[in-house]
Amino acid sequence: MKHTLLAAGGHTGYYQAYSVLGLVAVLGVLFVAASFAANRLLRPDVPGAEKYTVYECGVDPVGEGWAHTQIRYYVYAFLYVIFAVDAIYLFPWATVFAAPGFGATTLVEMFVFIGFLAVGLLYAWRTGVLRWI
Amino acid sequence: MSATAVAAPAVHSLWTTAAAAPIHAPKIEYAQLSPILVVLGAAVAGILVEAFVPRRARYGTQLAVTLIGLAGAFAAVVGLAATGYATTKADLAAMGSIAVDGPSLFLQGTLILVTAVGVLAIAERGLEPQSREVPHVDAFAPQAAAVPGSEDEKAAARAGWSTTEVFPLTLFALSGMLVFPAAGDLLTLFIGLEILSLPLYLMCALARRRRLLSQESAVKYFLLGAFASAFFLFGTALLYGYAGTLDLGGIAKVVTGDAAPNAALNASAHGDALLLIGGAMIVMGLLFKVGAVPFHAWTPDVYQGAPTPITGFMAAATKVAAFGALLRLLYVALPEMRWDWRPVMWGVAILTMALGAIVAVTQTDVKRMLAYSSIAHAGFLLTGVIAGNKQGVSAVLFYLAAYSFVTLGAFAVVTLVRDAGGEATHLSRWDGLGRRSPLVAVTFALFLLAFAGIPLTSGFSGKFAVFSAAAKGGAVPLVVVGVLCSAVAAFFYVRVIVRMFFAEPRADGPSVAVPSALTGTAIAVGAAATLVLGVFPQWAFDLADKASVFIR
Amino acid sequence: MSGQSFLSTSGTEIAFVLVGIVALGAALLTVTTRQLVHAALWLVVALGALAVEYLLLTAEFVAWVQVLIYVGAVVVLLLFGLMLTRAPIGPSPDADSRHRPLAAAVAVAAAALLVTVVADAFRTTWITLRPGAGSAEANGIGLFRAWVLPFEALSVLLLAALVGAIVLSRRRAARPGVHEEADD
Repeated sequence: MKHTLLAAGGHTGYYQAYSVLGLVAVLGVLFVAASFAANRLLRPDVPGAEKYTVYECGVDPVGEGWAHTQIRYYVYAFLYVIFAVDAIYLFPWATVFAAPGFGATTLVEMFVFIGFLAVGLLYAWRTGVLRWI
Repeated sequence: MSATAVAAPAVHSLWTTAAAAPIHAPKIEYAQLSPILVVLGAAVAGILVEAFVPRRARYGTQLAVTLIGLAGAFAAVVGLAATGYATTKADLAAMGSIAVDGPSLFLQGTLILVTAVGVLAIAERGLEPQSREVPHVDAFAPQAAAVPGSEDEKAAARAGWSTTEVFPLTLFALSGMLVFPAAGDLLTLFIGLEILSLPLYLMCALARRRRLLSQESAVKYFLLGAFASAFFLFGTALLYGYAGTLDLGGIAKVVTGDAAPNAALNASAHGDALLLIGGAMIVMGLLFKVGAVPFHAWTPDVYQGAPTPITGFMAAATKVAAFGALLRLLYVALPEMRWDWRPVMWGVAILTMALGAIVAVTQTDVKRMLAYSSIAHAGFLLTGVIAGNKQGVSAVLFYLAAYSFVTLGAFAVVTLVRDAGGEATHLSRWDGLGRRSPLVAVTFALFLLAFAGIPLTSGFSGKFAVFSAAAKGGAVPLVVVGVLCSAVAAFFYVRVIVRMFFAEPRADGPSVAVPSALTGTAIAVGAAATLVLGVFPQWAFDLADKASVFIR
Repeated sequence: MSGQSFLSTSGTEIAFVLVGIVALGAALLTVTTRQLVHAALWLVVALGALAVEYLLLTAEFVAWVQVLIYVGAVVVLLLFGLMLTRAPIGPSPDADSRHRPLAAAVAVAAAALLVTVVADAFRTTWITLRPGAGSAEANGIGLFRAWVLPFEALSVLLLAALVGAIVLSRRRAARPGVHEEADD
């Protein structure tokens, strides 16, 4: 089993794999920081009131930077949260449902889980919150 | 030597079957979970009704689905109890997550009946002023997202929309409540807590009148509830760190020393602090739901702001579910910690009874007064919990059943007394109600007398049961405090009765709306339960007594 | 043994402490900054740092759950929630209430209590981490064998929350039939 392989690899395998990831993340941060620092050092510094206005496709900005968002965005964000939670449970499920001792019960359980959320999605669709007008 | 060697694996297999069995498909005993499953099925059906049934037919369909579901669930509970699951066949179902035993089935039956009566009050559509275009108006906001007082809101009211989603939401709350007192491990307990709380937070925000008050109550309830949930989770983590298991029975085994605690614990410290603080935090989370001092601050605001039918449902059902969970936690997981939790609970019970009774005296709003009265009753119930014996369990079970019907009835009567602004909840408006509508006033007086614990009402039987159990359990001083607080509480209940019958009615006083058969039935059932449990309590005592043994 | 790894064991521990300091600092900034949007963004840093901590403790699966659900979804929800309010960009002087010292005292007391209790219980016990113990597979075995019922109950909770959110936020058009398909 993969499980035991990993365990045989011990600490070294696990941390080595993730240290590459960490390295990439650190490099990314460093790259952005370095470019901005270089930018600041090399650019001429001539501040002016006009330069501090918000950039809006080249036109003069209208209104304040803050506007109430529509409540629709909220429902979309909420649907995203719920289906993210749903999706995240598929990962552990996918690793075990075919393993001996799980079988059909586990398969059905996941479909029950998804079924509940599908009912919610049906309701959202029928009440029209999914339609963007 | 050999005895321990034999005993050890037996103990192990008793409570770790859920955690360590090698290759066995997870087993779910659907029959034993049927009350919960039926309620869930009805809730999902309700959502589908909301999605696919035309608006005109929704209300009737929802009411039918809800009541049929509740009837089915109650039949399931009765069936399980009749086949011995309450006594001899009591068992842990669904890999140890749900305990199907006497207290579970008793409380589940009570909760289903309470919800059925609560749903009748929730379904009432004849009390608000109506017009020819909008013949039926319920107690809920037609469009919750509309700004209070805006043109949008008025348009929604004119269009005659209604929020029939309250029916499935009520059923969802009920399903959480059914899980809550039956949970066999802390994780299930937590998820039950969330399932029962979330729909209640939402429904608190849905009052048709006094929208701002309603929204404020929902936000307060949600924020404080989230805070309490956080405490509950911290406590769960600490207890898991101590015992290495989340099963209530497993924790008890570790406490008594029958099973080893978490191997990583420092040997000299034994993790006693983990156990004490973890247990305390979980109990805190439960005391919040119960509304015990010092975790009561949300109660008056939420009870006042929520739509009154929801307040009635919430006040009755949440208390039943939360006390059930508290009993199970203290009696199954932490019975050996009795000498640690009892002194603390003494303090909480005394504070709760005293503060509830004394502050209620100063209230001028009926709903707030009933809220403080519910705090005082939480204190009375705690005396039964503190008793620490089988009699205490059965007394609390009986008290919960009795109290919940009185509460439902009382809040249903509150929905009837109205003036132009909706419900007339200020106490001064109730002056002389007894002359104008003697029947309503007499019914309300009956509920108040039951709250006060006057003989021949269910309140008396309940109080007598918890106090005698507490006295038997060695808590005599607590009983004395309880009786004194009952006397103070009786003062403000009787004051309302005096106002209703002996004060001059005001010229601009409120009118009493004539309820439809729905609210009428709810009040009648509440009054009948109050009288029956007051005059002939013995059969209910016997039932509660038979149901008072927890499975471990 | 550990010589061949890029990060030695002690390197992991140093990383753990450093990331922990980042998480703590970001959490403090979240609650003290007077700019609401900044608070939400500091929360991202705090939650992300926590995810790294989980990774370092070999709780792989939980770490990625933290990234996907909390850093990804919940913070987005939080930001949309913030944008529904009237809060302006820039400092909000009225974001403070008089109870600030009291809240700080409660927070410090709670944190101190939790830290003391846990530190006292485990003291210097050395817990050897086992990579793979926190993998998706290990979680799956636990979830689908022992915790089946809580798992299913969770879907009920999500459904109730979804329906509730729609009930609270739905705006129907004043003219019937425009927005809602389920109309007659």
